[in-house]
Amino acid sequence: MKLVSISLRNLRIRLVATVLTMMSIVVATALYAAILTMAEQTEARYEGSIGGYQAIAGPNGTSELELVLNTVFNVGEAPGLIPLEVCQKLRAGRGIGRRSQVRYAIPQARGDSISSYSFPVIATLDEMFSLFEWKRAPLVFAAGGPFTFSYAQLTEMAEQLAAYENALRAELPAEQRPARPQLQPAWRQCVIGARVARTLGLQLGDVVTPVHGKAGEFGSHEHPEASCEIVGVLAPTNSPIDSTIYLPLGIHLLIDGHEAGVFVSPQVQGKSPAQIEAMPTSAGRIALTAVIADPKDHMGPQILRREFGSHPEAQVAWPQDVVPKFLRQIGNAADALAVIAWLVLLVAAVSITVAIYNTMNERRREIAIMRSLGARRAQILTIITGEAALLSFFGALLGLVLCHGAAYALQDLVEDLTGVFLDWAQLRPWELWLLVGVTGIGALAGLAPAVKGSMTQVADNLAQNY
Amino acid sequence: MIRLRDVQKRYSLGEQSVLACAVDSLEIAAGEQVALIGRSGTGKTTLLHILAGILRPDRGEVEIVGARMDQLGEAARDRHRGRHIGMVYQTFNLLQPFTALENVLMGALFGRGAGGDARLRAEALLQQVGLADRLHHRPSELSVGQVQRVAICRALINDPELVLMDEPLGNQDKATGGQVLDLMLQIATDAGKTVVMVTHDPESAERMQRTVDLATLRGASGEAHSTEAAR
Repeated sequence: MKLVSISLRNLRIRLVATVLTMMSIVVATALYAAILTMAEQTEARYEGSIGGYQAIAGPNGTSELELVLNTVFNVGEAPGLIPLEVCQKLRAGRGIGRRSQVRYAIPQARGDSISSYSFPVIATLDEMFSLFEWKRAPLVFAAGGPFTFSYAQLTEMAEQLAAYENALRAELPAEQRPARPQLQPAWRQCVIGARVARTLGLQLGDVVTPVHGKAGEFGSHEHPEASCEIVGVLAPTNSPIDSTIYLPLGIHLLIDGHEAGVFVSPQVQGKSPAQIEAMPTSAGRIALTAVIADPKDHMGPQILRREFGSHPEAQVAWPQDVVPKFLRQIGNAADALAVIAWLVLLVAAVSITVAIYNTMNERRREIAIMRSLGARRAQILTIITGEAALLSFFGALLGLVLCHGAAYALQDLVEDLTGVFLDWAQLRPWELWLLVGVTGIGALAGLAPAVKGSMTQVADNLAQNY
Repeated sequence: MIRLRDVQKRYSLGEQSVLACAVDSLEIAAGEQVALIGRSGTGKTTLLHILAGILRPDRGEVEIVGARMDQLGEAARDRHRGRHIGMVYQTFNLLQPFTALENVLMGALFGRGAGGDARLRAEALLQQVGLADRLHHRPSELSVGQVQRVAICRALINDPELVLMDEPLGNQDKATGGQVLDLMLQIATDAGKTVVMVTHDPESAERMQRTVDLATLRGASGEAHSTEAAR
């Protein structure tokens, strides 16, 4: 038998009070751990997900943060459209020296999804798997390989679509219109991220059907004509790439019903939207949601900033700048929440003090008996402080378990809402410190009743016959 | 074993100081079994607490099992009590949430330590008093006689030189209580332990080797005189 056995037994015989008091510790610890977990994993996720996203060209009139969140982290709807000519401009390098300032400029269009999990679909080029660098190297395939749809094919299709669209706008008879480009069977291929494959149980050769909008939401509809065979499964990146389906831009542009949104209307002063819609268009007006680019050298960012500083339709966002600012804001919010969690812990500590203090009167005889057996005041102090510490320890342990359980249960929801992947099974060093800290705070909370208990008058209380 | 000289303990009752216990002189040799008798209010329990080191006298010398309890600090008295003195109370004072075995082990925990063979010793003691099949029963699941036997085992677990008993038959029928007291005295005799029992019951006192009337110990300042009735 040890002193700790007495502390444990005392907690057990007051089980209801123990559980109720412990609940506040559980909640406080779980809250604090959840805040730390979320802040830490958000930071890790966001910093780790920037990867090869050096520059993102997107529509004007939206915040850089929104653009980065949508393009890199799949958060929210695409904030708007930009014309293909932005991509052409980046690739052609019309800036200083008339050379391209970027190593690559890969167009993207999004708006569709797959399955009730709403895994986002990004229509892009095969360059996403050859030129795009995820952490200084191209994306790795766990199985299969990339689809084939090149920039040359895109520009050729854009020309054909523009010619067809202009014939429509000129209201030419059907026999005089050029043929609308047809969806090539070879394009009906896609590449899926690791989490998509894992969650939906998909593998090479399976077929996925894009849904316009978010699957399950009002107005969403399937596009069976754009069903694609999975030709590649990416290796895990622990980033939103894992939750993404990539398919050729050609499919996206030729999907039935997307005709109206294929071209971006220019802003022309003095003309109504209807008049603008009736104006001839061009291949450069093909609509994209973003272009991801990588400046060639240290001058690249400055040139791009200057070129896009006054661009009427597009802007360039820099994830390396935007994400740290965003994380600082999240950090501030996390700090504020952490203060609340500490306050909850403080209240919990007070509740421990009150709960144990209130038992001291009824325990005077029990303490006096132990003293009569030879227990020193310090041992009584240890037993009662031990009760508070044990109660806090188990409360903190349950709180951490609750935090991990909640992370497990909410993993998918949090990833869908925020793009943050909660690794519920990961144990972090601060959890040990939290456990020690909460136990220490609990022990301190038990000091006041412990001192009262240790001051119990032995002779007086032994004489009482309860 | 026990030597008291000019001991006095007073309590404050409001502005009044009440003399709770006064002993001019008392000596008990090792191995003696002594009953301290007296009417209610004569300071029997106070004297017992002074002998146990639970209370420190306001004045006088108290030497118990080789230690001057009147000169020791509280923690040292506690330690001395835990190691050298076993106590049996009228109300048994077992801790209700703990089993018979745990109650006995608690005596070891605060005495010579509950590690090592303490558990074996506790089991052996409980077996000796006929409670081998009640080791894991709580006090509420035991009869009065069984509870008292557990209390005796707890008092003996540290193999103390001195056992103090406070009205050990006070809470039970005399037949059962007598048997248990006889058992206690038998064990104490076999092990050569000193036993001091305070009681107001002459029948219990008769079982001891010597009886000391507390009233006869009060001789200080001419208030009383001390006599000992040797048996």
